[in-house]
Amino acid sequence: MGHTIRQIFRSGKFVVGFTILMSVLLVLVVYPWWVPDPPLQILGQGTFFPPGIYVSAYDASNAPVLYTLNLRDAADKRIESRLSQEDRLAMQEWLVADGLPESAIDLADTDALLALWEEHYEPDRRLPGMTFARMRYYQRVDAGLDSLRSAGGGEILAARNPETGELEETGMVKLTDYANISQVANVRILPLGTDNFGRDVLTQLVAATGVSLLIGFVAGLIATAIGLTLGLLAGYIGGWVDDIIMFFTNLFTVIPTFVLLILISFSIGQDQRGAITIAVVIGFTSWVWTTRSVRSQVFSLRNRDHVNLSKLSGHSLPRIIVADILPYIASYVVMALILQISSGILAEAGLSILGLGPRTTEVPTLGLMMNWAMIYQAHVLGNWWAYLPVLLTIALISFSMNLMNTGLDQVFNPALRD
Amino acid sequence: MKGRFTGLIVLLLIASMALAACGGGSAPAEEAVATEAPAEEAAAGEAAAEEAAAEEAPVEEAPAEEAAGEEAAGEEAAGEEVADANALPRNETLYFNGQQWGPVVGWNPYSGSNNNGMAISQSDNARVTMFETPYLYNMLDGQQYPLLAEGAWSWNEEMTEITFKLKAAAKWSDGTPVTAEDVAYTWATHVKYETPTGAGNKDYIDTIEAVDAQTVVVKAKLDENGKAVNPLIVAAYLSTNYVIQKAWTEALEARSGGDATQLLADTAEDVVYSGPYTRFFADDTKVVLVRDDNYWGQDSSMWGKLPTAKYLAHTIFKDNAAGTTALQAGEVDVSQQFNSNVQDLWLKQDLPISTYLPEAPYGIGASLPTAFFNLKSPGLDQLAVRKAIAIAVDYPTIIANAMTNQSATFDQVPRSLMNPTAGEQAMYDQAAVADLQWAGNDLEGAKKLLDDAGIVDSDGDGWREYDGKKLSYVATCPNGWSDWQAAIEVVAAAGKEIGIDITTNYPEWSVYQTVVTKSDAPLPEGYDIFMMWSDGAGPTQPWGRVRKMLSSEFVGMASNWNGNWGQYSNPQADELIAAIPSETDPAKLKEIYTELVKIYLTDVPSFTLMYRPQSFHTVNESVWTNFPYDGDGTVPPVPPLNLTDGWSIAGLYNVTLVQ
Repeated sequence: MGHTIRQIFRSGKFVVGFTILMSVLLVLVVYPWWVPDPPLQILGQGTFFPPGIYVSAYDASNAPVLYTLNLRDAADKRIESRLSQEDRLAMQEWLVADGLPESAIDLADTDALLALWEEHYEPDRRLPGMTFARMRYYQRVDAGLDSLRSAGGGEILAARNPETGELEETGMVKLTDYANISQVANVRILPLGTDNFGRDVLTQLVAATGVSLLIGFVAGLIATAIGLTLGLLAGYIGGWVDDIIMFFTNLFTVIPTFVLLILISFSIGQDQRGAITIAVVIGFTSWVWTTRSVRSQVFSLRNRDHVNLSKLSGHSLPRIIVADILPYIASYVVMALILQISSGILAEAGLSILGLGPRTTEVPTLGLMMNWAMIYQAHVLGNWWAYLPVLLTIALISFSMNLMNTGLDQVFNPALRD
Repeated sequence: MKGRFTGLIVLLLIASMALAACGGGSAPAEEAVATEAPAEEAAAGEAAAEEAAAEEAPVEEAPAEEAAGEEAAGEEAAGEEVADANALPRNETLYFNGQQWGPVVGWNPYSGSNNNGMAISQSDNARVTMFETPYLYNMLDGQQYPLLAEGAWSWNEEMTEITFKLKAAAKWSDGTPVTAEDVAYTWATHVKYETPTGAGNKDYIDTIEAVDAQTVVVKAKLDENGKAVNPLIVAAYLSTNYVIQKAWTEALEARSGGDATQLLADTAEDVVYSGPYTRFFADDTKVVLVRDDNYWGQDSSMWGKLPTAKYLAHTIFKDNAAGTTALQAGEVDVSQQFNSNVQDLWLKQDLPISTYLPEAPYGIGASLPTAFFNLKSPGLDQLAVRKAIAIAVDYPTIIANAMTNQSATFDQVPRSLMNPTAGEQAMYDQAAVADLQWAGNDLEGAKKLLDDAGIVDSDGDGWREYDGKKLSYVATCPNGWSDWQAAIEVVAAAGKEIGIDITTNYPEWSVYQTVVTKSDAPLPEGYDIFMMWSDGAGPTQPWGRVRKMLSSEFVGMASNWNGNWGQYSNPQADELIAAIPSETDPAKLKEIYTELVKIYLTDVPSFTLMYRPQSFHTVNESVWTNFPYDGDGTVPPVPPLNLTDGWSIAGLYNVTLVQ
């Protein structure tokens, strides 16, 4: 046994696959210590907040110490964030249409541009040929300029006096004031933003990976157990037992598994579909290939000398199967199990994308995350963080498992051994 | 070898998603995101199966293009037509989305199951592209404007009869004039064959008679006191239901042999119409209407000109995502579907797309999607439990996340039975009910309410019990109705916060609708809290909506498509609802409405989750411009109803090509 394991770990492919999978598992264990929030908690009021560091604006302006930094390009950056080059060109377009010569407009001189704009722009005027959407665009640009115009030395903070109801000045945030992020009371890092429910995508992704691995594992175990049992019986006993088992196996071979899966999931109904139910359904529909392979292997084993010797010695059927046959196909079964787990995860994802996955409130799964991202059109609106990390996770897990499988194959299969 | 097929399918799905993400135009394989389907449209889906797609005789007086396509009967003609419909000149065609899901079943204005979103919808804001109503309702000012009719209608002294005149210029597509006899015969046919229109109005309208060729009298059904049973519904009939030609109706009756089922199932390919557009092409990929250049409405007594676009076309999209993709690409001009995060289309993607209002909620809320309590579920018969759930729900999150801010918030428009339009908001005394209105997120209040009612967690499992039984409910809405599903998730989350176990479940619409609309028996398990819609804007509102939310007349109905699905019953409310239609004193009306809002907010038989526009209205100005927007200066204002419904059709005469 020890020797076999040493041998396995000499296979580079297996080690790489194994390392990836273990890293994923490690993240699953460690991450909840870092972010203990429940994965389905709704944090954001609004959909698809982009990835980034979210700093409480209130806490930042009320930080214990505000530092003064005189940065040379601060003013330019501030203006740029409100007035892009594109906006300037659009403003020029308006001014030219209003009858100003193009030479009179200096796009680089912000103050001059704003002065001209102030003089000529009328929010409710539609220039000839201008669409309504364009008119609203100008209104938005104009509204954005307000903050540039008002930015004298900074913004005055005020609070309402509870007695008089009047606003009273409480302080001022100057243009040169900076808060150190480590001193801001509330900072939340959302490395993968939020989804359509306003949930933290990364937290959800970690939990979903765990659930999906569990689904894959349960489905794989069930499929392998059924496949192994039927394969052993059919292969070793033969005769009419073989005929019956192979009849059903062939029947299931010709029905595409995924279609079967869809039909069963649909007929179970959404209220009954928990994560484990889905796993069981996947397991019960994907045992066919294991049965066939195990059967053919057992066929070639059952007439070996040591098996005949056991028979002559009067050993019972279960004992012969367990002691004389199983060890010879164990390596194959382990490999089959790994592939079954990987395809179980894929099957869940496939089902959930079609809206036939587990019901949504209890646990997240990788497939459900993609399903909701698609329903809320994340792919149409370019909100990649809601589905791309999920795709990559699925790809990574299947990749690692297939790599492990190939590595094992090289170790155990004499034909492939170096 | 194992599971290779499964793997392949999943990989394909993933690949298609990735492709779509890269901006590909192909529609990704995903679940349909249905919008609210009115009853008749849902029923139409079933009828579609029976429908034979055979092309019949060409429409009489069809424009040249259409006749050319159809004259050669049979499949060749169909082939030719496809070529035409696919090569519509872009600058003469106005494209829609969100109105038509699945193929058209028929063109029969008597039937309720045509699934014909571009041509037929007889409702408060009737679709008047092909068939016309005497009056057009305008949801923005609540007025009915004459279309086929000449001038305003009027009640007689006793308020039992409405008289109106028809325009002399009004003509059918075959050139004959629209007469009072047509109006009268349409009603007689509705009653005789028990069409949905007939069944819905015969308790309120007695007869419709032609006094002379131009003058119509609508006589209301009278109650035992000699007063009209419901004057509101009688008046609403004039802007809700089409006038259909008598001669054509007689031909239809003759060929269906007087059999009601056959008459309603007739696809009416030869129907005579009075509207500005008619059928040009329809299959399972698109529907196209073409302008009738002989349309009577170009007479100076109506519009004075023809509508601008020669064709109205609607590609049949698989789902909302496909529709949004087409809108982005400029292949759709007017969008009537829920585009999530619609502001991204102009803010992030810089597309020439806009909505009626520049900021959230982007449209004008008209209906109140509402969660109903099954009042027979154990525990939900307790006011404390109902109210606790209702005040604990995080409504701002529902509006921001599920509706992506396309709804007014309950801070902006406090809850009542009224929609957010100014007209309805003025119908009740806001100050009188202010202390009853809740804005949600009140977890402490909800817990206190339950504690005070003695509904506490006595066995320490984290969930409260009532009568020794754990409070455990299922909240539900139809599968695939994404904004509703997301809203229901938020309701469930609120339950968990206050010790009430709420799980969610999403049955298919086909199952859901039959269960929820069966009001003659208690609702089954799994329907403790469920979502349905309310009436939108219309001439009978807010009375119609209030009635459908509260009236006990729907309890016991075998097929209840009206409302009060939680089977609430309150004689006092019934009395107040019955008093409204014949009440003409505005002050008294306001008093009654205020009282009803009070009852509603006190008893909490249901709770509104969001406001929803009558129809979503997003336009792309790549080809066409001058669509209606808030403050566009039109008089009367053109409502954002996609240029096809009620007075919004006026917008079709205003659009112009982008220069």
